[in-house]
Amino acid sequence: MIEIKNLCKSFDNGELAVLNGITETIEKGEKVVIIGPSGSGKSTFLRCINLMGRPTSGEIFINGTDILSASEKEVNLLRQKVGMVFQHFNLFPHLTIRENITLAPVKLKLMSKEEANKKADELLVKVGLSDKAENYPAQLSGGQKQRIAIARALAMNPEVILFDEPTSALDPEMVGEVLQLMKELAEDGMTMVVVTHEMGFAREVASRVLFMSDGVIVEQAPPEEFFSNPKSDRLKEFLSKVL
Amino acid sequence: MEFLIEFKDKLYETFIVDDRWKELTNGLKTTLLITFLAVLMGMVLGFLVAIVRSTHDKTGKLKLLNVISKVYLTVIRGTPVVVQLLVFYFVIFATVDINKILVAVIAFGLNSGAYVAEIVRSGIMSIDNGQFEAGASLGLSYPKIMMFIILPQAFKNVLPSLANECIVLLKETSVAGYIAIQDLTKGGDIIRSATYEAFLPLIAVALIYLVMVMILTSLVTKLERRLGKNDRN
Repeated sequence: MIEIKNLCKSFDNGELAVLNGITETIEKGEKVVIIGPSGSGKSTFLRCINLMGRPTSGEIFINGTDILSASEKEVNLLRQKVGMVFQHFNLFPHLTIRENITLAPVKLKLMSKEEANKKADELLVKVGLSDKAENYPAQLSGGQKQRIAIARALAMNPEVILFDEPTSALDPEMVGEVLQLMKELAEDGMTMVVVTHEMGFAREVASRVLFMSDGVIVEQAPPEEFFSNPKSDRLKEFLSKVL
Repeated sequence: MEFLIEFKDKLYETFIVDDRWKELTNGLKTTLLITFLAVLMGMVLGFLVAIVRSTHDKTGKLKLLNVISKVYLTVIRGTPVVVQLLVFYFVIFATVDINKILVAVIAFGLNSGAYVAEIVRSGIMSIDNGQFEAGASLGLSYPKIMMFIILPQAFKNVLPSLANECIVLLKETSVAGYIAIQDLTKGGDIIRSATYEAFLPLIAVALIYLVMVMILTSLVTKLERRLGKNDRN
């Protein structure tokens, strides 16, 4: 479903290389968790998949379409199918929770206002925040905001959702509710690519764990093997620090 | 007692004789008309220029429009409004038979547009980039993100500055007399030259401006409070 070939990205005119040639394929239904030390390029990699950041070189195919040579219009169409959840939620503060969820489907004419509202009600039930429909983001806790951000992504019926450190900006007691929701999504069969520091989540939910360091994927394996039998020294060292 | 009677006579002499108060009311009408139309023009123009400038800053597109906008901003903000008004009346529209008030509206509108543009642009640039990204990640195009996500928030943030710009413009139109428009200020001046009495007509003019500004200010405070209710982050 997503095919990445030899992806490289550098900032400051090549002075700072962040991604140094990543080749990876993500199949439908997979839950890929990406871990690694800060500065290893995890988020940069994730953000290249929906072109939030443009890679310096390499190829990305989504459902067979080469998105790097696609027009702006085609990219926008592709993004409708690739949801994203951000570290800082990025809810729209001037809109109610319901409007946050319905804005894109309605403005992109994918649904009528009534359909979108109905869909929003269903999604609010799913994320357990039915009573917040008419509230504004500022009235919600961090965990609730992130659950709404997930609902907003789901409203587009995406084929895959990218999670960029979805729990890193949360107070510790709110991490659980967001991870629980993500687990439920995984059980529903959603394709997910998750950058996170939550090793428990990786162990429990991932179908595959990738370890990134210095802009390359150093090692990858199913979670049992990944955590119990790391091969590279770099990963052993990393796991000894975080577990 | 004698002072009061004298004062009453002066009031009568200044405003009632020959219906001189009409100089003020008619002048006020003209001032309000020019201000209202110039504000409208300034807002439309200012928003357009701000969108061009910030789109260029964010995406690198609209190069030509951006250059035109920059020249416009530099010239308008670098020259006094009275000079602009005179240039419009005596140079640009010199040979055209055109209503003076329309000339004033164009001159003040163009002038105000430059200030509105910089206010709105700073508002757009102050919106967190995450808002753009969230919109883009949902598949919304750049114009839609601008329209439905960025501009509503930017507008709310710069509303006090925009209102201030309206107030400044209201006061700036007092130079319309330079092209012989009989606005509020000119009205007071006409009374002064008819009665050889400067104090009362000019104080009356000042009071009218002051009251209008105070009303505008209180309206804006109310509006701000209503808009601010929703999102205290």
